[in-house]
Amino acid sequence: MDKFIVNIVHRPEMVPEYAEKVTGHGKEENIGRKSLLKESLDIFKLQQKIAHKNGLKTTIHMTYASLFNNEAVEIAKEHHKKYGDEIALSLLGLPCKEFRDKYKTKDFCIWMFSMEEKKSIVDDVFQKFYESFGFYPESTGSYYMDAELTNFIKEKYPMVKCAIATCWEEGPKAYHTCNNSWYTLLDGGPWNPWIPSRENTHAPAANQEEDSGIVAIPHLSRDLIACYDGNGSNFGTHPQNILRGMIYDTKEWKYPYLYNLIDQYRALEKYNNGYAYNMVFVGPGWLNKMGRWEAPYELLKKSYEDGMAYYGRLKNEGKLTDMTMAEFADYYREKKTYTEPECALWKDILYGSEKQLFWYCDPFMRVCVNMDQGGAIVDLRPYAAKLNRPVGIGTSHIQDASYPFLIQEKYRAGYFTHYAGEGTVRSAKLTYQGEEVDLCLCRTKAKFSVKDNTRKLTLDPVTIEFSDLTVTLRTIVSFEEGSSCIETKRIILDMSDPHAKVELNEYMVACYGTTEYPEDMTGIILSCKNEKDAKEILYAYKCRTEELRGAKSVSAVISPIKTVVSFCNDKEETVGYIREGYAFSPMFTLGYKTILSDKEEFTTWLRLEKED
Amino acid sequence: MAQAGKGRLNYRCPSCFMRDLDIDMLYDKEKKEYYCIRCQYTGTEEDVLKKNEMARFRYRDMMKRITDF
Repeated sequence: MDKFIVNIVHRPEMVPEYAEKVTGHGKEENIGRKSLLKESLDIFKLQQKIAHKNGLKTTIHMTYASLFNNEAVEIAKEHHKKYGDEIALSLLGLPCKEFRDKYKTKDFCIWMFSMEEKKSIVDDVFQKFYESFGFYPESTGSYYMDAELTNFIKEKYPMVKCAIATCWEEGPKAYHTCNNSWYTLLDGGPWNPWIPSRENTHAPAANQEEDSGIVAIPHLSRDLIACYDGNGSNFGTHPQNILRGMIYDTKEWKYPYLYNLIDQYRALEKYNNGYAYNMVFVGPGWLNKMGRWEAPYELLKKSYEDGMAYYGRLKNEGKLTDMTMAEFADYYREKKTYTEPECALWKDILYGSEKQLFWYCDPFMRVCVNMDQGGAIVDLRPYAAKLNRPVGIGTSHIQDASYPFLIQEKYRAGYFTHYAGEGTVRSAKLTYQGEEVDLCLCRTKAKFSVKDNTRKLTLDPVTIEFSDLTVTLRTIVSFEEGSSCIETKRIILDMSDPHAKVELNEYMVACYGTTEYPEDMTGIILSCKNEKDAKEILYAYKCRTEELRGAKSVSAVISPIKTVVSFCNDKEETVGYIREGYAFSPMFTLGYKTILSDKEEFTTWLRLEKED
Repeated sequence: MAQAGKGRLNYRCPSCFMRDLDIDMLYDKEKKEYYCIRCQYTGTEEDVLKKNEMARFRYRDMMKRITDF
């Protein structure tokens, strides 16, 4: 049976991240201000009231600060009893007098502390929670939960089964939006719930051995086109984020986009065995009496009321199930297998572009296929490597918790570059009598289907016009569950001259990184091999190319991210090639060239593996 | 000239918003204008509101209720 589930999370933050800076302007910092504490608690009470009025249960994420407030503790107990709300524990909202007195720091993001302090803080807040409620929480969370933190929590507090563990694509784009002052560098994770691996939170577990023991949920459900391109905090199931994006009518205060976003998430059940999910988590700072930016308090409140009313209406119509986080974790464990992918054929619902992306996520990869670029892969994260990459003070990645990419069209150009060099993309080029056309130039649409354990994306045919030849070509991209492979099939459906022959060049331009800025590519090993020969390039920015006729595989070993990426194909008559970049184009290219006639097809497989 | 402060509402710079930057503006009481501390934008409240409307140009489906997915 189809199921659309919502998790609604509220946290009595006491000292909201934003409120102190925004409402406290012109006053000396004082996080113990009584007026601030009262306002924060009032906002929490209001949020709870709105949810309950609409018949929705919530997960109350008690903050460390709120555990020192008797009223907040009593409200949580009462609402648990009366409405079935879950009492959980947040690792956000740490700042309060008691915390600062003990830890002597203004840091507030749990994943950025040293491991020693993470352990100490977790023990502090879990013990304080136990003192307040007489039991330990089953759910927790933060904007990000690094694997080492989760593993510690699970070992020490095994009853924890669910956690808010990342904010989808809240990375360099969000950082820039905040004038480079908001350090949530968390790109590269799943957009919908998953079971994190013990090695890396972003990468889902492939089996029980890799299972961290929790079900992770994202912080908010985000627009899979708008957030990928722009500021993540404008386009999510957070009514005030919609206002932040100015996506509303200022005269009548209407925001149909919010409902479109929720409904598109509902529609994802078509791709995921009848299951769809939403998460709402609005911190109290977004409902403060001073308003947020140009939105007055009345509008902030109205948007929250309207958002909850919509979920309430869906519930009344039997189209939604509200769950607590712990309930959801149980449901998810029963519903999903480790290797079952999360799929989303997502369309633009805001800009009127008709653009369509396909997002795919499993324990081996996260992939974005762009139909506006002929089915090119424009984002690729090699989860197969299960890259262990600790974050926080004392590690080499203090703030940067993103999972590295091999392809990222926004940070590494994609198809279009400025006059020189190449950008990362996985596409194909057709060549005929000296003319060349990249499929990235062919806008199309796709349909999704499932057969046995393979998810298939069938693109509408595209037409390539050369001066003396017109070619109609179809692309099919397939993902076989558990294979760690992406299969790409090109089929020549028609040629204006049935005797013509065209060259097809299947290629992948890639690099590695987590931000816009280049990493050192020195030492990456590029190779092409068949049974008899092998050619190799040790990356040194020398712009070299090697080719091998009949190559069985072309590959790159990228040691800094413990990843091996390779290509193979189904044809004897091909030429495999590897290409090194140069300082102004720090990329590498893997590819195959072959000659195709009318009605012929060519299949390649891109495989991701962990470096031994 | 006395120090600047926040205005009636906490307006962001519309010019920076259009390049995906959320920057609070400050209010100059003497000139009766908002100004951005990052870029060169200055404007009255009326101008800010007008530019905020302009920033919505890209949201062509902003008011459309979509039911087919």
